[in-house]
Amino acid sequence: MFSINRRTFIKLSALTGAAALATRFTRRPALAEPLIERPPEGVITDKYVATSCLNCATRCATRVRVTNGMAVKIAGNPLSQVSEGENCPRAHIGLQVLYDPDRLEGPMKRTNTAKGKGIDPKWTPISWGQALTEITDRLQALRAGGNPHKLVLFQGLNTISDEDVIRRFAAAYGTPNLISAEGLENEADMASEWLADGNFTQSAYDLANTNYILAFGANIVESQKPLARNLRMWGKMRRERPNRVKVVVVDPRYSITAAKADQWLPINPGTDAALAMAIAYVIITEKLYDADFVEKYTTGLDAYRQVVIESYRPEKVAPITGISAETIYKIAREFAATKPAIAWRGRGATGWPNGAYTGYAIFCLNALVGSIDVPGGVTYQINPEYKAMPALAEDDTAKKGKSQQRLDLGHTADFPAAETVTNQAADSIIAGRPYPAEIAIGFNSNFNMTAPATARWEEAMKKLPFYVHIAPSVSEMAEYADIVMPSPTFLEEWGYDHSPPGSGFAEVKLKQPAVAKLHDTMGIIDIIFELAGRLGGSITQSFAGMGRTAEEFVRFRTENLMNWQKWLDDGVWVNKSYKYYKYDSIFKTPSRKFEFRSGNLEARLKELGKSADEQAYLPHYEKADFFGDEKQYPLVLTTYHPVLKIESDVQNYPWAQEIYLAMHARGWGNFVEINKETAHELHIKDLDEVWVESPFGKLRAKARIFAGVHPHVVSIAMGQGHTAAGRWAKGIGINPNEITGVAYDRTSGQSAFYNTRVRVYRA
Amino acid sequence: MARWGMVIDLDKCIGCQACSLACKAENDVPHGSPEEQAKRREPYWHRVIAAAEGEYPTQRWEFIPMPCMQCDQAPCTTVCPAKATYHREPDHIVVQDYRKCIGCRYCIVACPYGVRHFNFKDQEAKPYHHPDLPPTLAVRGMWPYPTRVRGVVEKCTFCFHRIDQALREGKEVGTDVVPACVEACPTRARAFGDLDDPESEVSQLLATRTWFRLREEMHTEPKVFYLPR
Repeated sequence: MFSINRRTFIKLSALTGAAALATRFTRRPALAEPLIERPPEGVITDKYVATSCLNCATRCATRVRVTNGMAVKIAGNPLSQVSEGENCPRAHIGLQVLYDPDRLEGPMKRTNTAKGKGIDPKWTPISWGQALTEITDRLQALRAGGNPHKLVLFQGLNTISDEDVIRRFAAAYGTPNLISAEGLENEADMASEWLADGNFTQSAYDLANTNYILAFGANIVESQKPLARNLRMWGKMRRERPNRVKVVVVDPRYSITAAKADQWLPINPGTDAALAMAIAYVIITEKLYDADFVEKYTTGLDAYRQVVIESYRPEKVAPITGISAETIYKIAREFAATKPAIAWRGRGATGWPNGAYTGYAIFCLNALVGSIDVPGGVTYQINPEYKAMPALAEDDTAKKGKSQQRLDLGHTADFPAAETVTNQAADSIIAGRPYPAEIAIGFNSNFNMTAPATARWEEAMKKLPFYVHIAPSVSEMAEYADIVMPSPTFLEEWGYDHSPPGSGFAEVKLKQPAVAKLHDTMGIIDIIFELAGRLGGSITQSFAGMGRTAEEFVRFRTENLMNWQKWLDDGVWVNKSYKYYKYDSIFKTPSRKFEFRSGNLEARLKELGKSADEQAYLPHYEKADFFGDEKQYPLVLTTYHPVLKIESDVQNYPWAQEIYLAMHARGWGNFVEINKETAHELHIKDLDEVWVESPFGKLRAKARIFAGVHPHVVSIAMGQGHTAAGRWAKGIGINPNEITGVAYDRTSGQSAFYNTRVRVYRA
Repeated sequence: MARWGMVIDLDKCIGCQACSLACKAENDVPHGSPEEQAKRREPYWHRVIAAAEGEYPTQRWEFIPMPCMQCDQAPCTTVCPAKATYHREPDHIVVQDYRKCIGCRYCIVACPYGVRHFNFKDQEAKPYHHPDLPPTLAVRGMWPYPTRVRGVVEKCTFCFHRIDQALREGKEVGTDVVPACVEACPTRARAFGDLDDPESEVSQLLATRTWFRLREEMHTEPKVFYLPR
């Protein structure tokens, strides 16, 4: 890569008439690195480029300082209103993402037929022409055989523009099998809102105007998206308003959010729904609810009230949740009295086998206190309207392919409200049911790291006859690729993006290359345009009339919003208008109201021919099924995402690695965090090497005695334990997903993450 | 002349460490490695420490960002045998002259805040390092980049290069231009400005909020102030 750096630089110096300065290159011996040509001293060219970040799904607008052709600094874009010009710490890591010395430098083909974890693929470089021809031939043959549905597309974290193109490719080619990572992240959260108001989406919360936050398993300032906005708003909520917002965090682990909150309720793992229902009990029985809102805009209160009163008296719920009845009464009264208030469902609460119902129970609290689409309450995210793409051209093969059942069994009676059941795809591929997968293409995906029970993904990837991986760096999933195609990083490519729900109003961020491409890479949009062009027929037609390159495509999609020069200069388009009280349009339910009894689910189950008892339509608590016997495995394994976990699921970034765990002032790995009393009983001391053993396997790591974890819980940070590549990531820390079991939220098909029991003992 | 100070609101700070990263990026501070962390030899000009008190479930944690405290009575300056660390005039920023530093590390021992770091290694050149030349060649001695030297002590400079440039360009320090850590803070927990100017944001914050400084009992008179929750 360094030769290219140098070449790029010299080109640039020549352009600026400063080639003479190249003689001022100084060679310095480096320790661990190969020699690197040092850019000259002094600033010859200097500019700021408005672009955006992709180190997490928030996709913040940034400005990159580019000096002498090199990106040297990333700062916020003051024009962005989602984060009010701020960036979270992840944005700074962008420099190391761009200049990662372990990036893929060109397309490669596998020569080792054996596949498996840690097996060297023995890739040899090939040309882009050869790579694309080989893939096109296979795609053509599969389609000619009438089996387009046997193509599987895996999607990790991509720009919205890449996602749009990938989705269109799947539709034009004719496969229903676009497997995104949503089924590992937010589907239960999205389904819980769908149960209540018919919007299959995460909620936006009006943090600028709220007065009270009750966060269930929501790590607002570490991992909840849109993160940079949450951070900015946190500052506002604390000290930039006359009244300081009260924040209560319900979580078995003392997250940074809990540490910075006003009150922490260490709940028994998996019992958030019971607590939410008990809070509803207090609000309903003491008539603290917003009678006007409930009367006018909701249905199903009677059925809901009945189940709440029958089963969720705080005295009854206290032993389940481990939170005293007095505390429940106090929190419930505060929540109802302090308007506007928000009940926030996070993944800690919804990443369970009963996750959607838990989320539903929490979401209903917002409706009880009238916090729906009001200033300071739950708001309804407006996504930007890009210029529409021309109508899709589909031939019969595509239509037939798409009518096939999805490999991940989404939208079946098993997972009635599922869009993507990410983790099920592995089992379906292994079993070859409902049909075998023939070709797979992964776009920045790394389910081998991020999905529970990673060994199944290893088996599934081994079984795939032909796998193509597209990403800037090697990941655990990439190791299985037959052909690997490097895409550029987000600082070298074109795209458009918007943030997940949070701001309410719409904002678009442009991605434009801050620096010239470092390696022989090709962006996802360009790869797909190229494939579509080669595949011919309706697929080629489907990609006509919206530009021939990524840049042209981005320009086409965004031209209705702003003129191109302004895009390049500003990098952000904002429409700040947001109207509250849209009660005539936001409720997408049979009753056109907010439903405490889910008519949507009833209709969906009817459609799927599945019967259910009355309870299934109401928010409720069910005791979670755990993997492992309580006697043998007395502790519950919980996981969390520290703020410096980069969401491309590549972690080869020393700035992030060295300060990875802020609470422990340590980096370069992760700990098994264990409560002091529990550790004492187990004769474990701080920093002892321990085994964490579940019914599925065991991992060895250092123990950390931590006052911030429930005595029946051990917690491990995600993001470490890479095995494939990266000099600053490989072999560092452990990946708890290796020892978790496979379970799903029954409604949304989201993977459950926190219901595996373990025992911990000294190594 | 201005007396630069920093105010950090611990109620707003959420320990995200954007400040530490922005500092590394701004000042080309090298990254460490697992081995260096084990030996506590990692170079930092700024870091965030966590302080805990109490036991489960009523414990309390604070995250405390730690730049150089820029003490008016700085112990590091009095112990230095080489006069390599001193208050620069006229704005009293504690600076380190790498040409004069003999690497004895007395200042590290003397600093009550542990914010000075010894440079144990030759710096690996990184493509993302700033190539900026020193504000003026005369101050090159206390300018760590483009080329760092090993065997000397390094520390936070309050980003004096930014301040100097701002003053040269007639910009307002504290509003238009602030140190990199202040600029990067997503919760806007940090403020920077002239402590002698009663209108500055820092003075206003100190006038309206309770504040404390670290290790007040050492009488070091730090110019970094913290606002408690």
